[in-house]
Order: sequence, then C-alpha cells, then structure tokens
Amino acid sequence: MDRMTDDELPPEIEAAWKALDARAAAGAARVDAEAVAREVVARLRREEQPRAWWLVVPPAVLRVAAAVALVAAAGVVVTVSRERPARQSASLPLAIPSADSLDASELEQALQAAGQVRPVEDTTAAATSEGSMAGLSERQLETLLASMKGAEG
Amino acid sequence: MGAPALAVPADGDLIARYLGGEEEAATELVRRHTAALARYLAAQGVPDGELEDLTQETFFKAFRALGSYRGGAAFRTWLLAIGGNVVKDRRRRWKRERVLALTPDLEDPSGDPAQHAEARWAADRLEEGIAHLARLQREVFLMRAQQGLEYGEIAAGLGISEGAARVHYHHAVKRLKAWIG
Repeated sequence: MDRMTDDELPPEIEAAWKALDARAAAGAARVDAEAVAREVVARLRREEQPRAWWLVVPPAVLRVAAAVALVAAAGVVVTVSRERPARQSASLPLAIPSADSLDASELEQALQAAGQVRPVEDTTAAATSEGSMAGLSERQLETLLASMKGAEG
Repeated sequence: MGAPALAVPADGDLIARYLGGEEEAATELVRRHTAALARYLAAQGVPDGELEDLTQETFFKAFRALGSYRGGAAFRTWLLAIGGNVVKDRRRRWKRERVLALTPDLEDPSGDPAQHAEARWAADRLEEGIAHLARLQREVFLMRAQQGLEYGEIAAGLGISEGAARVHYHHAVKRLKAWIG
C-alpha cells in the first residue's frame, strides 16, 4: 500500500488523525474475524436454502386456505353421498351375473330398466354361465339347449 | 529438501471458488479483510458495540452481490465502498435513536495525562469532523489516508473519476482543517 506522497496531511490534522486511526485499529482488533466468518457463512447458507412455502405464506392466508379446503371437502362428501343411491340402482344390471337368485323374467326386467333389452337367448346364456337354471320356462330351456348345440356344432 | 511453500490464493481465485459453491473460500475472504474493513468502519464513527455487527453486515451484503462484482477495483476497495453504504444506512438509525458513540480510553496510561486528554479531544473532534463530511469526501479521505489507496483505485471502487477522487480528498482535508482549527 502506498502512503500519500503529493498530498500529505497538514500537521494540524496529522496528530489527531494518528490518534483517531489508532483508536479505530484498536476497535477493529477486538472484532473476531472467525466469528464474523461463521456468522456470514451461516447467513448465506440460510438464505440459499429454499424456504418451505408454508413459511413464506402469511398465517392469515393459510387459515383462509384451510377453511376453503374444509368447505370444499365437505361439499364433495355431501355430493357423493347424495349420488350414491342413484348410482347403485343404475349399476344393478352389472351385478346380475352374480345374482343367481333372479329368474329369467326378472333378468329381463332388470335389463330393460337399464335400457339394455336383450333377447331371451342372451339372458339364458348368461344364466347358464352362472349355473342357475331354476325357474327357466320350458321354451327358454329349449332355446338354451339349441344355442348350446349350435355352439358345440 | 523442504516442503514446497503453499501459494496464497488471490482474492479473485477465492471469489471464483466461492461462486463455485466453496464456502471455505468465503471464510478465507472474511479472515483476510476483516481487520481493514473494521478499522475503516470504526474511523467512520461506528461505535465499538456495533463494529462486529456492521462488519458482518458488510460482508454479507458483499457476498450476496458478488455475482455483480466485475473486478474493476480490488475486492477490498469494493468491500469498503459497500461498508460505506452500510454505515450510511445505519447513520439514519443512529440519528433517530440519538446514539452517542462511547469510545474507550486507549492511550498509554504511562504518558502525560494532559497530553492524553488533548490527543483524545483532538481525535474526538476529528471523528466528528469526518462524520460531518459529505459521504464521498469521507470515503475518499479514509480510503486515501487510512487505507493508502491510489486515486485510480479509489475512483474505481466508488464509481467516480480519478479527478473527482482527488477533488473530494482535497475538499475533505480543507474542511477537516477548518473543523479542527
């Protein structure tokens, strides 16, 4: 470091400046460079870490968001519970293959209710696959037998 | 054959290493420049109780802005300029809170008490005078008188022309002389 050459301090300032600078140097000597370094690095590290969004969002906004979420969830629950009975009745025909207690006419009615009216032959075939032929009429049994023969042939 | 001497990395290397994610480089830069920075801040009238805090604050701001450091001035000069800004901001708070700096008696107790008192008075008076200088005058004066920097370097650090740095220095000295006299 070069000291001043062309512009030295005037003597009336020089002594006071030396005393002041000595005081500044003594104060600086009491600053713990290691502690400063530790704290600066820790602060930089803290700043680099992405903050969790729930720490950034103000608590009031969080409370409002939580209330909205609760209301929406309650709405979904109510809607689902209202729709469930209708869905169950609509899906009844889909449960028919396992409902082997139904006779052919009941099967037909059920299919009609679902808008899927099928010929009697189809219904008997479905009933056959489930192994329940009790309650089928003679004509239905004949049709079934004929269809089975046809399938074998 | 002795062990080869370890090369001391330049500030520029440490800066590049820090920007590359090496924390230890930041620690080394702080170790290297703390004394000069704290002395510079102390001469600007920062009270002892706040010196470490402001030193830390200056380094923190410097590292945060390191991406914009272009190397036009030395890292230390750039750091001192940031320190000047930190002091300027803190001065506003001091004015609001009317904080009075309490400076300890550091004179040699073995000397003449009257001489010590006079020296302390003169130092206090000069410190007041420095605090009353315009900001650029104060910073140029301290960078020149305390840190021994060339005008070109001061100019690069403060973003002014070399001629302006000279003018600020001479105005500062003139005003301090009038203040003391």
